[in-house]
Amino acid sequence: MTKSDQGRHRERQDPHWIEWLTGIVSALLVAAILGWLTWEAFTRKATPPDLVVTVLTTEKTTAGHRVAFDIYNTATTTAAAVTVIGRLTDGDRVIEENDVTFDYVAAESKSTGAILFQNDPAGHTVDIRPAGYTDP
Amino acid sequence: MAGETTSADDAKNEFNSFVTGLGRGVAGALFLALPMLMTMEMWYLGFTIARERLLLLLLLNIPLLILLAHRIGFEETFTWREAIRDAIIAYGIGIVTSVIVLAALGLLHADMPVSEAVAKIALQSVPASIGAMLGRSQLGHDDTEDDGKETPYHGELLMMAAGALFLSLNIAPTDEMMVLAYKMSIWHAIVVTVLSIALMHGFVYAVSFIGGHELEPETPWWHAFVRFTLPGYVIALAISIFALWIFERLGDSSAVEIMLSVIVLGFPASLGAAAARLIL
Repeated sequence: MTKSDQGRHRERQDPHWIEWLTGIVSALLVAAILGWLTWEAFTRKATPPDLVVTVLTTEKTTAGHRVAFDIYNTATTTAAAVTVIGRLTDGDRVIEENDVTFDYVAAESKSTGAILFQNDPAGHTVDIRPAGYTDP
Repeated sequence: MAGETTSADDAKNEFNSFVTGLGRGVAGALFLALPMLMTMEMWYLGFTIARERLLLLLLLNIPLLILLAHRIGFEETFTWREAIRDAIIAYGIGIVTSVIVLAALGLLHADMPVSEAVAKIALQSVPASIGAMLGRSQLGHDDTEDDGKETPYHGELLMMAAGALFLSLNIAPTDEMMVLAYKMSIWHAIVVTVLSIALMHGFVYAVSFIGGHELEPETPWWHAFVRFTLPGYVIALAISIFALWIFERLGDSSAVEIMLSVIVLGFPASLGAAAARLIL
């Protein structure tokens, strides 16, 4: 409990036990966060971004086709401005090529996006891959 | 005859002080919400924010305003009924101020989908209504009024939550928040955590601000540190998680990445919590 007088507040000398309980639980939480982060800081190696694309679905849209995908960064460093290129190919012949840019793909995190094609991906080879990134 | 004149004067005075309170509310809403009204990410949130999360934020704002009203209010509030009335007025001022400013800045137009315009206004009305409520305490505070008043422990914690929420609402929607979390290493996060806790404690106890707190001379310093500062920091982190979740900033990230962004946002949130103890 806090007493206010003349614009100054004075904490009470004889606090209720709940104040100590809250304080001790909070202290344990803060200690746990700091301990966990310190452990991670020592054990986690900084690895450069490692990007993997997984195609999720191919759907027809009003004006074309949508290929939705996941991009997963398995490394412990975030990649910025990640460009993903999607190609429809028939053997060596590229039928259509489109790209999309992710502002960020965070470390050990997943982002989702989609590439739109005019041609039907069915019957062609769909190739979606990350093309590059910058360090944030 | 004389009695009637006095009561007419009283009614006039009451009316005047109510209008002054409204004016201070608008001023507070403008001062405190303008940074958010002029932030690009806040406009975009109008069409990207999940509607159920926005609704939750709007609903949680109501008890927060009532609690703030009970403590400061537009006028001296002694009963919960008056506090509820003041909270509704503050929410109203927040909404009207948001509509006027958003419209004046050209962010609302007729060909915009209604749901987008409503979401934009609703989102901005939350900080604006807190600003309207604080307007009276910040701009017309009379320090003698809280002499001899006792704040219960949960009251202190709630004030810290309100301060933390206000600053996190300011900062959580911005992209800079996430960029900072992406750029920093875990060591940086540990430094920010220690710095946040030290500043929180220092602002309230060490630096002699008006409204600062002090201890009985015989109480060791760590008593207040354990009873007030550490719970305050945990509240600031919890509010940060809530704000990041509302604005869909948590995503499919790993636990460490989420923790880093929570700690980054926890820095302003903890200062907000400390400031609330000084100001309110």
